Amino acid sequence: MNSVVVFSLLMLAFLGAIMLLLPHFSPRRFLFAITVPPGFRESGPGLAALRRYHWEVAAAILVTAAAAMALAQWLPEAAFVVAAMAPIVGGLAAFLRERSQVRRQAPRVADVREAELSAKGDHLPRWFLLAIPPFAAPGAFALYLRAHWDEIPSRIPMHYGFNGPDRWADKSPQAVYAPLLFSTGLMLLLLLLLMLAAFYGSRRTPQRGAILKLVLGALYLFALPFGGAGFNPLFQIPPAWHFIPPLVLVSAAIAWALRIASDPSNPGEATPDDCWYLGVIYYNPHDPAVFVQKRMGFGFTFNFGNRWAWIVLVGFAVGMVALVLVFPRGH
Amino acid sequence: MRRPVKIRIDLDSPVPAYRQIVDALRVPLVEGALAPGASLPSVRRLAMDLGVHFNTVGEAYRELAAEGWLDLKHGRGATVVARGSQPAAAPERWQELRGQLRNLVAQMRSAGVPPSRIAAELRAISESLKP
Repeated sequence: MNSVVVFSLLMLAFLGAIMLLLPHFSPRRFLFAITVPPGFRESGPGLAALRRYHWEVAAAILVTAAAAMALAQWLPEAAFVVAAMAPIVGGLAAFLRERSQVRRQAPRVADVREAELSAKGDHLPRWFLLAIPPFAAPGAFALYLRAHWDEIPSRIPMHYGFNGPDRWADKSPQAVYAPLLFSTGLMLLLLLLLMLAAFYGSRRTPQRGAILKLVLGALYLFALPFGGAGFNPLFQIPPAWHFIPPLVLVSAAIAWALRIASDPSNPGEATPDDCWYLGVIYYNPHDPAVFVQKRMGFGFTFNFGNRWAWIVLVGFAVGMVALVLVFPRGH
Repeated sequence: MRRPVKIRIDLDSPVPAYRQIVDALRVPLVEGALAPGASLPSVRRLAMDLGVHFNTVGEAYRELAAEGWLDLKHGRGATVVARGSQPAAAPERWQELRGQLRNLVAQMRSAGVPPSRIAAELRAISESLKP
């Protein structure tokens, strides 16, 4: 079995598992991103919708696995794309079908909002100081690289394909330090986005603490495995070492977030069903929140009906493009 | 430790959101759960937490300020103020409130609540709202 098939099947297993779990990855008041009354999930129509969804996604996974294995011999890159896209497209189609079923069958739930009359500021918990050490990691890596500058080869891998590095750059400070600058920039952007989301544009939600912990984990992910890519010039780290730790960390984060999101004591944020498009895009010009809690998955999403959301989004996109431009193009 | 005061509104209700906010805030103000000197969330924060327009909360705060419950200072949010003894309601206002109460009692009777229970409930609520 060649490496393309292994990567493709791993990707398929990972994304397929996420798509299978998707309806469970949500507060109990929602089913397929529609507000349902308590007990609807366990009722006949609720269970039937879940059963149909699981069968459809499982069928999509099996068909994709067969297609990816067949394609891998002649069109390896196409096999990888099919393995990555087909479970998402198939799962999304099944999700939307069941969403419209649930919308028809579930009794309407009153749109009740609750707010605490507290004027206290939203302070960060003390443990969030743990966000500082990840910023030291790229600096430490950079110092190490500088101390061993003479050992760095004259050509540095800049991009990896299925069979190892496929683009190289000549040794220069930009080429050597680019991965470290990239991971630091990514961490700063993430922290900025979190601050905006947590303090200036979202409701006070019981999930906020959990979201902060998840972002903390993401900072360590960007600092260590991503920042570790900065060592490539010295140690020629196998690509799998860049791929596997993030996959393990992301899987662990997803499992943990799944537990929090589906916790029956988590009420989930109240937003109108009619303002959610495809179950994931929120557009409500009457809601002053820039960020709202996701109905599927965990964390915040933008309120695209709020112009500040667009301003933040464009700022973030510009920051990402600037970070990508840090890398030399290579040849 | 005192539990934080919360308010609830129903956006599907035919009662306007600003009116629900005024009514929901007046209860803890009359009960004394929100004592003089207590700060309320800023208009921006409460609007965001309830998912309603800033003007909706602003209008509710202004109405409560006009009733003498709140002091609104630009940039400092709303503070509960000590309210001196209030003169008895004007005859028109009294008739309006009486009409509302009459409608509510009629709804309760229509829902099968016996008059004795309604009277007891009114007395209990009236006692509990003594500041």
